Amino acid sequence: MCRTSQSHVMTRLRFNEISRYFFAILVSLWRRVQIGRTGTRTTAIHCTGCTNSDMLSRLVFVSASALKSSGPLGAGLVQASRCLHTSPQTLAPVPPLPEEGGKTRHGIIPEEIFQFLYPKTGVTGPYMLGTGLLLYMLSKEIYVINHETFAAACIGIVIIYGTKKFGPSVAAFADKLNEDKVAKAQEVKDLATRSLTEAIQEEEKEQWRVEGRGALFDAKRNNVQMLLETNHRERLHMVTNEVKKRLDYQISLQNLHRRMQQEHLVDWVEKSVIKSITPQQEKESIAKCITDLKLLAKTTQAKATA
Amino acid sequence: MALNFFDQFMSPTYMGIPLMALALTLPWLLYPTPTTRWLNNRLLTLQSWFINRFTQQLLMPLNVGGHKWALMLTSLMMFLFTINLLGLLPYTFTPTTQLSLNMGLAVPLWLATVIIGMRNQPTAALGHLLPEGTPALLIPVLIIIETISLFIRPLALGVRLTANLTAGHLLIQLIATAVYVLLPMMTTVALLTATVLFLLTLLEVAVAMIQAYVFVLLLSLYLQENV
Repeated sequence: MCRTSQSHVMTRLRFNEISRYFFAILVSLWRRVQIGRTGTRTTAIHCTGCTNSDMLSRLVFVSASALKSSGPLGAGLVQASRCLHTSPQTLAPVPPLPEEGGKTRHGIIPEEIFQFLYPKTGVTGPYMLGTGLLLYMLSKEIYVINHETFAAACIGIVIIYGTKKFGPSVAAFADKLNEDKVAKAQEVKDLATRSLTEAIQEEEKEQWRVEGRGALFDAKRNNVQMLLETNHRERLHMVTNEVKKRLDYQISLQNLHRRMQQEHLVDWVEKSVIKSITPQQEKESIAKCITDLKLLAKTTQAKATA
Repeated sequence: MALNFFDQFMSPTYMGIPLMALALTLPWLLYPTPTTRWLNNRLLTLQSWFINRFTQQLLMPLNVGGHKWALMLTSLMMFLFTINLLGLLPYTFTPTTQLSLNMGLAVPLWLATVIIGMRNQPTAALGHLLPEGTPALLIPVLIIIETISLFIRPLALGVRLTANLTAGHLLIQLIATAVYVLLPMMTTVALLTATVLFLLTLLEVAVAMIQAYVFVLLLSLYLQENV
């Protein structure tokens, strides 16, 4: 609950501002009186723009501050209460919320009371105070035990049981609500961080790929060179083959020529020889052949009978 | 000081100064104001969560015209809820046990719904007086009956809340008195009665919350018909 802004307003009002407010109020009142007389609507609209309650509330502030700055107490009243302020009196930066709530003993009585009474009455002091107070009120019949006491006991049991049983789970639920809020915002942040990291990694990969591009081109170049080389060699082979074929043809042609020449020569020689054989020579040769044959027949016969 | 059974239902005064205004406005102090922080303490988180869920739940069946009543209905619910529950504490005064308060809440709100219905969609509002599918002979009778039921609504709203709370409180007082009187005489019986009192207290806690919810729910239903 930040009511401190109002106290700031009050301390800073000065006399000329107070007089200005009074004047503004007087003017608005005068205008309303005039409207009542003439009954025109146009000025009424202008006046109701700054509403009546606005003026009246300023009147309240004005009178309070007028009280504060005048009189025997005066401005000192605001300054005197400053030592009782426990929270910082500014709104920015926003002060952090405490992690734990106020410490209490037995769930209700603030720990500060025990600390306050400790120096004078020790550890049992507040308990003695409580018991004594209770017994005092009962014995002097300041508090009378009646039917309401039992009703109070019942509702007390219900409240205490409820708090003890459902307190932790409700607190956990409230914490979970806050944590879910934080988690949602964190999720957005994490998603952004993740997508940006992934983008960075992709970019680095692309840069690495660019480096490898040279090797790729070299490989491609080598490929092309090999293809050209293979082609060249194939053509060389083809050329040699063709040339060889041509040369073989020529060789075989020459060989043919020579053979034909040889055969022709042999034929001519045979013909001439045959032509040269006289009939007498023929007879002699045939007689020789017959004698040879007879001889042979004899020898074989002799071999056979032997 | 001896307590009369009906003292708890008397409008509280202190030396002639009526304290009804205090009884009605002081429960507001129990609810922290929402801050401009993003994450709040547990109480404020739970309060905001509850109010948001309740409003969402209540306004779901209403069309957009009915959403203007969100603030009215939710604040009414929180008001009745708190006052009913605080009334269960001992020696407290429950303003909602006063018929005047409850009628003062029920009649204007009900009348507002009726007037809105009659003004914006008179045929539809009057059409509610005849449920669908009634046989032709019953039409005149049914219209009269539905009109009577329409006018009984504010009475029912107010008296329901008053009667439930008054009866509950009275019962608690009576049974607590029984326990008190029986305790020296027949202790076992007193203990049994104390058990009954305990169960009754539980019931009253439930009734306090439910009655507040029913009041607001019925108003939202009447609004649904007319908006």
